[in-house]
Amino acid sequence: MAASTPTSDNSPNIPEYEYGNANSTTFHIDSLRKEWLSRLKPSDYSHRADDEDAFHANFAHEMGVSVDMMRALKEVCSTEALRCHPEDQQPDPEVVPEDPTLKTLVERKKRQDYKSSLKISKNRHDLYADEQERLAFTMKPEAVENRVPEGDVILTINVYYPATFEKFCYVRPHVTLLLLGSQSLTELRDAICCISDLQVCGEFSDTPDVAPDFVSKDHYKSAYFFFEGVFYNDMRYPECCDISQTTITWVKANNFPSYSQAKMEDTKLVDLKVKVGFPYLYCHQGDCEHIVIITDVRLTHKDDCLDRKFYPLLTHKHRVSTQKCAVCYTFIARWCTTGDQFAPSHPCLFCDKCFRMLHYDADGNKLGDFLAYPYVDSGAFN
Amino acid sequence: MNWSRQRNEHVRSDCEELLARFQQTDSVRFENFSRIWREMKFGQIFYGTAGREKRAFSRLVLDVAFVYFLPPFSFQIRVGGLYLIYGLYRCQTASPRVGIRVALKDWEDVLGFQKDALGARHLDAVFVLRQLRFQRAFHFTATPRALTFERRAKEARSQLGNKFVARASGPQELLDRDAMEELSNVHELYGRLKSSVYSPAQRERLGVDLTRENLPARLRGHVVGFHGWQKRERQEASDGDEGVSEGTSARAESSRRARLLSSIKSKAYGQAAEACKSRRHRQVEVDAGDSSGPAPPKGRSTSRRVSLKARTHENVRIAGEMWKEATTPTSINRLTAVDRGPEAKKEGRS
Repeated sequence: MAASTPTSDNSPNIPEYEYGNANSTTFHIDSLRKEWLSRLKPSDYSHRADDEDAFHANFAHEMGVSVDMMRALKEVCSTEALRCHPEDQQPDPEVVPEDPTLKTLVERKKRQDYKSSLKISKNRHDLYADEQERLAFTMKPEAVENRVPEGDVILTINVYYPATFEKFCYVRPHVTLLLLGSQSLTELRDAICCISDLQVCGEFSDTPDVAPDFVSKDHYKSAYFFFEGVFYNDMRYPECCDISQTTITWVKANNFPSYSQAKMEDTKLVDLKVKVGFPYLYCHQGDCEHIVIITDVRLTHKDDCLDRKFYPLLTHKHRVSTQKCAVCYTFIARWCTTGDQFAPSHPCLFCDKCFRMLHYDADGNKLGDFLAYPYVDSGAFN
Repeated sequence: MNWSRQRNEHVRSDCEELLARFQQTDSVRFENFSRIWREMKFGQIFYGTAGREKRAFSRLVLDVAFVYFLPPFSFQIRVGGLYLIYGLYRCQTASPRVGIRVALKDWEDVLGFQKDALGARHLDAVFVLRQLRFQRAFHFTATPRALTFERRAKEARSQLGNKFVARASGPQELLDRDAMEELSNVHELYGRLKSSVYSPAQRERLGVDLTRENLPARLRGHVVGFHGWQKRERQEASDGDEGVSEGTSARAESSRRARLLSSIKSKAYGQAAEACKSRRHRQVEVDAGDSSGPAPPKGRSTSRRVSLKARTHENVRIAGEMWKEATTPTSINRLTAVDRGPEAKKEGRS
């Protein structure tokens, strides 16, 4: 699909590809939804399955064909005509068939043979992803008020992990969320799990027993989304401040086109004017920045999960391996020490038990010289 | 990344193979299509995928196939494309079924196709399309594919695709029968109006033509000439391989010229100049690589640098034990190991 100059009679709400085909042009989501609904019949996007005989009868009536002709048509165009093997000899669909003629199959066979020669059959990403995928589909609610209405839009949003790991340069680790158009940005914000929200600040080598009961999430509640030149700030709590203000004042001072602000809790996703496939920004904790890309916008379908309670729905998540204790390599690390005379490396990770055994005596006195910080592992959300 | 691009290419070439065979039947009947489908055992394209790969592959193959349902392909290919997505949708192994994505900008083309098929009374095509709509096979989206801001290398359009494109019919469409009738009526009226200004005697003395002679006939002559020229071009290009009617297509003038230019260039640079007589024993070797193949597999002109690890492995050779120690990273984890008896004593810190 080459990028073409939009013709003059195209309404601005019909998105085209932008130059480079990596993303679409800007469009207003609700207008897109209305455009689609105006062009479709309600039966096209309804969630109910209709009666097939009624459909055939209507078709025959509309085309003015006889019953025999209709029967012949049904027979010719049925799935039976596409059956490649006789009914009782269906080969196993999980296995590549013998003597494949299609190029895709030849290549697939080669890959399968190669994979079976490797020792590791599945990696950790696949193990959980299969499970997640199964949960995402065909959930029907019991109560009618929880049902997703027909004609609503579903957005698929990728939220990428902050680019602070050197390891993740060539792979783009992300979380994929499905959201309804009628949901607001705050619901998106609440669904994003970032470990920087759970960080506890402070040095606790002298008082390891004081369980830190506050996390960064409770301290620093401000956050914003940045879409198409507008900062959407979270102002739900009295502690929230407008952290986008510094950027806006800088922009004004430096001759950039100015940006505007809005409230996150007042903006529904359908009110946004965005590009599909274009990276935007989510910033929280003052400096933890995530790239947000809206990968897909479409009308709801009968095979989607139709229960409102489940949205925002997580469909894909990159698993990060957990860091374990350096001593026992069994438990997940809870403490991180620096300048530690007992530790082989700087910094070094310990689980709770090993930490206390190594650094404190039986009475709980601190032995030696070190600094200890509570550590939240990046794989905490696995 | 290379693997997924290769897979795209294979899927596309399989679809084009099927559509090329369908094109040769010169008909738009579903029976012919299903016969070819059964011959090629196309339903097997889904076999061998497992788990999540089923949905991903169904998505890929439906996206690839949907392109053939839209303009600028010829009507027969579009019908073939419709049957193809119908077949793929029904035969896919993923459950629940993966839907067919239709972008808002393409919906008009779909409706236009339905209208054409209705007008020509191709009942099977209309029935298939209506069935897909009835079965809620379509997902109504903003863009044809989900976009993640990945810059893809330009996908080479295969040579075969050019044969599927409908021939340009601008002049024919502009001057169809109704337009010609109206044009000739208006022309007559115009001529009469202009000549009524002068008396017959004055008209003879005027040396000029007041209107163009026989404008409608000449226009028609031009259009027919254009059509004949197109046909001749196509015949030349396909070397008599093609059948007639809507299946064939005209290659655009510009692409022919571009190909001519590229062939000249490849001859100029691909072939090294012959060495002079005195140095004939040192003829320059020419790499007999595929210069202007139909689908250049590597879009990138700069060659990929071999990774540091591979280069180190290549260049640095350390013997035996020291090499093993040098390559395994120092692990600060596992400082202790569960004591399993005498064997554990041998395992030191790595």
